[in-house]
Amino acid sequence: MINPVLLIAIPLLFAFLSVMFKKADKGLLTIAVLFNVLGAFLLKETEVIIGGWKPPFGINLVIDQYSIYALILLNVVFALSVLTSFASIKKYSTVLLVSLASLNGMLMTGDLFNLFVFIEIATISAYILSTMTKKFRGTFNYIILGALGSNLYLLGIIILYATVGTLNMADMASKIHLVNSNVLMLSFTLIFAGIAVEAKLIPFNGWVRGVYGNVNDLNGGIFASAYATAAIMMFGRLFTSVFSVEGNLKTIFLTITVLTFILGEFAAFSQKNVRSILAYSSVAQAGLAATLFLTGLKGIAMMQVANNALSKLIMFTIAGAMYVYAGTDNVEKLQGLFKKHKLIGFGFSVAALSLIGLPIFYGFYVKIFALTNLFKLNSFWLPAFILFSSLIEGIYFIRMLAKLWNPGEEGKESKEEYTTKLSLENTFAYTVLAVVVGLFILYISYNPEFITQGISNYLSNIAGGM
Amino acid sequence: MIQYLFIGLILIGIYGLLTQKNLIKLVVALNVLEVGVNLFIISVGYVKDGVAPILFKGVQSTNETFVDPLPQALVLTAIVIGVGVTALALTVVRKIYEKHGTIDLDEMGSESDD
Repeated sequence: MINPVLLIAIPLLFAFLSVMFKKADKGLLTIAVLFNVLGAFLLKETEVIIGGWKPPFGINLVIDQYSIYALILLNVVFALSVLTSFASIKKYSTVLLVSLASLNGMLMTGDLFNLFVFIEIATISAYILSTMTKKFRGTFNYIILGALGSNLYLLGIIILYATVGTLNMADMASKIHLVNSNVLMLSFTLIFAGIAVEAKLIPFNGWVRGVYGNVNDLNGGIFASAYATAAIMMFGRLFTSVFSVEGNLKTIFLTITVLTFILGEFAAFSQKNVRSILAYSSVAQAGLAATLFLTGLKGIAMMQVANNALSKLIMFTIAGAMYVYAGTDNVEKLQGLFKKHKLIGFGFSVAALSLIGLPIFYGFYVKIFALTNLFKLNSFWLPAFILFSSLIEGIYFIRMLAKLWNPGEEGKESKEEYTTKLSLENTFAYTVLAVVVGLFILYISYNPEFITQGISNYLSNIAGGM
Repeated sequence: MIQYLFIGLILIGIYGLLTQKNLIKLVVALNVLEVGVNLFIISVGYVKDGVAPILFKGVQSTNETFVDPLPQALVLTAIVIGVGVTALALTVVRKIYEKHGTIDLDEMGSESDD
């Protein structure tokens, strides 16, 4: 048992210390991420009151099965990402500590305004992290869209505050049915638009190409697995537990999320660079998880988030390493790269195949579970869209894997002379990451109970629970 | 009624974000938007003839209506965050200027992928 506040307080304290003791900053970062992993595993379901003001008047932290699951996932992927890419940290350890604190806060807080503050701290850290590869135009796009999104979110919660008179999530959820439906529609739309910027839903994700497409090995893992997990789990918390979206508005939101994953897959299909393919694939996966959350299949959406976080951690870290050490991430120029680094190729391939949802991989278990339950909800369009997008996903991932393993032109026998001259360096950490996480994905493919027992509350009421 | 003015400010901010090509003007538009949101939040807590919700020892207030203090506390936080974002955005604009030699989006050309 551990006080959940420490998961936010320790990284913040260490962030201040790392400014004062500049030489020890990487040590402090390591201690903080390891402490947070340990702390996340020791959490018990509880509710913490901050500052002695009882909710709904004060701020509280809500630790239930949902947030424990999200916190374990977040802290593990964050720690793996930081420890694997230790050489790329350079002067960013303070920012990494602040972002760790705020991402933990986002998943724990039970107050809507406190959530706004944590989102802002997390996005400001993300702006700074995205400058690592010196692509400032992508960063600027992200700043403008992120700031606009969080202001819309703020406006939405203030309109709700003016009508309901509370900012506490649980209190809001119990009183939301009293509100006039026109007010609800306005405020839900504003909040959805604000959160959608972070969750990468379709009209608000213009920044993704510029930021995710230009990552290195460190911030690739941080953005695509840690930030993506926190953002989509926060989306799930707001739009399943707090705000119940009904009627036409639900149809509109579902249309947006479905369009997100279909157009995301099409955009990924047309890309040539590994990081751009993965960027649009992240958009598509976020759309899929958001769709499952909106249809009420909360447990399955949570499993999908884990699938995305683990796979994208390996893939983005390796794609970032390609950029850092080989100088390019163009698939054509990197033909046959995995022949030189077979174990890295193994982890990358397992992650890609699990994302597609091929049988015997964890992603298959998630997708078949999602499809059967959508059929039981009498929904037939959604399964069709999910299968169609999985097909496109399968084509571009397998095309990419084939190029990276087999040098040569399409439809012809592979030849050694096409093999790239480029190679990765300092591969030890990447190999360890790829093998460990790859084997873990294979392990949970055969023992899904490892994931599902942690979220039993959210799976028990789902039809055909396996 | 004054709230319509603040909503107008928010809309002006969004209009600026959509139409401007100059990076500094984009940051200014963002600030106009933020000011609009902040003023709107303040107006939510306003009560006509209300006084500050502070009780002094020995002073009998004849006025029983208080303004809502919470929105003011929220705005204080939102202002601080807005300043932080503005400062960071201006830093990035300066970096873009060093790299491209211009702050106009049209003159910049595309950023190379590699």
